[in-house]
Amino acid sequence: MKNCFLLLFSCVCISSYGQQDLLSMLDSAKPATKEKVFATFKTTKVINAQSTETVKKHTLDFRITHRFGDIGTEGGGSAHDLYGLDNISDYRISFDYGITDNLMIGVGRSKLNENIDGTIKWRFLDQTTDNHSPVSATLYGNAALTPEVQSSLYSGTTDSTYKFSDRLSYVTQIIIARKFSRSFSLEILPTYFHRNYVKALTNPNNNAEDQNDMLALGGALRMKVSKRMAILVDYFHVFSDFRTNNPITPYYDPLAVGIEIETGGHVFHLNFTNASGIIENYFLANTTDSWSKGGMKFGFNISRVFNL
Amino acid sequence: MKDTSIFRKLLAFIPLAALAASMNAQIYMAKDCEISFFSATPVENIQALNKAAKPILNAGTGDIQVRISIQGFVFPKPLMQEHFNENYLESDKKPTEVNGVKVDYAYAFYRGKINEKVDYTIDGVTKVTVTGKITIHGVEKDKNLEGTVTVKGGQVLLDTKFNLHVADYNIKIPSLVVKNIAEDVEVKMNATLEPYKK
Repeated sequence: MKNCFLLLFSCVCISSYGQQDLLSMLDSAKPATKEKVFATFKTTKVINAQSTETVKKHTLDFRITHRFGDIGTEGGGSAHDLYGLDNISDYRISFDYGITDNLMIGVGRSKLNENIDGTIKWRFLDQTTDNHSPVSATLYGNAALTPEVQSSLYSGTTDSTYKFSDRLSYVTQIIIARKFSRSFSLEILPTYFHRNYVKALTNPNNNAEDQNDMLALGGALRMKVSKRMAILVDYFHVFSDFRTNNPITPYYDPLAVGIEIETGGHVFHLNFTNASGIIENYFLANTTDSWSKGGMKFGFNISRVFNL
Repeated sequence: MKDTSIFRKLLAFIPLAALAASMNAQIYMAKDCEISFFSATPVENIQALNKAAKPILNAGTGDIQVRISIQGFVFPKPLMQEHFNENYLESDKKPTEVNGVKVDYAYAFYRGKINEKVDYTIDGVTKVTVTGKITIHGVEKDKNLEGTVTVKGGQVLLDTKFNLHVADYNIKIPSLVVKNIAEDVEVKMNATLEPYKK
């Protein structure tokens, strides 16, 4: 009887050994790998704001960005221009190319100021699933050149000495983002921008002059509502005394809301914003339309990637 | 009567000896492993390669197990890789428990047993069949494999090729791209295993 138990016991031993989880050896063999968090945002831009994403290695992103005219005006609705659809505030065509998975360069051309811009974007930190790095961070810089005729460049001023450098402006941003869940991402964008030439204008309320150097703080979020659709919001506050309570030209903080639709290699954005310009060099300094006064514009954005 | 008692005692020792043998049995772990899949349609071909998996073989019992990181699959097109993880395999979903069973979307698993006897001490090639279960996207299915076990200079090479039916694993393909993704994808694994040292 005793032997029988022994027999039974050893049989049980063998069978349990046979079903042993060999994979548990893997866990002891090496520590869990840190996976990078992917798709914090879907494209390189949210709406107005840059995202932490860059175009991946050897990929070309062709983008068409379009902003129509004001939906309403201070005078009331404007059915005659189909609520802004007959007008174009700005459009931009751009190409962005990924040198590595984390380094991207691009060129673009906008209608406003005829700005031709060159951009560079470097993602130097990736959020990891184990929170070893809780955020992603990207450095963004651009330089824009306006080739417009001198009379436009200096319009409304008595400035007569032309300098080529007056055509240039620059933006530098650190973009810090966190994907909090599969469907919610948030980022902040401390921004410094510099314009080589500003018109000599003064805010009569506080005697503040327009500055060459300014700081701004942006925020953006993406919230997925279905597998391939998301809601986007972004906002910038520009720190400028000249732009605070200016009775001659009122300035507003650019705010944008939109939806994002992803279909294979394309990403479509449909959005509303009070900014008329598409690149930071313009909209941070020159947003003079207000949401509350009908100054929001319908806009869209199409991104198509090619693998080269 | 005394004889039978000794016989019984001896009999009892056989499983014990077997147990001892299996405890000492060599465990092999992959040094190199390439797992690839291929989906061919007239619209486009989709392929990916994973070099991060480490299959483990228990030479004593024939048990073979592998855990494959979904994010370890590298696609020629980065956007495809993102869609594969985000929309199809959902590898960024948090692990959960369904009816007491752990579901981990970040990995695919295979747990099986080689049916044939293979002598791992002698160089040679053996055609084998494996009976087991595969888990992908949290769905477990019976999956029997055919392949070869090659023993060569102390190393064990495993080769297999099989088809997976995408629809079996609760992977939803939107109608817009249904023509781009094959219903059955071909999976290949080539692994070189070495004796496992603790």
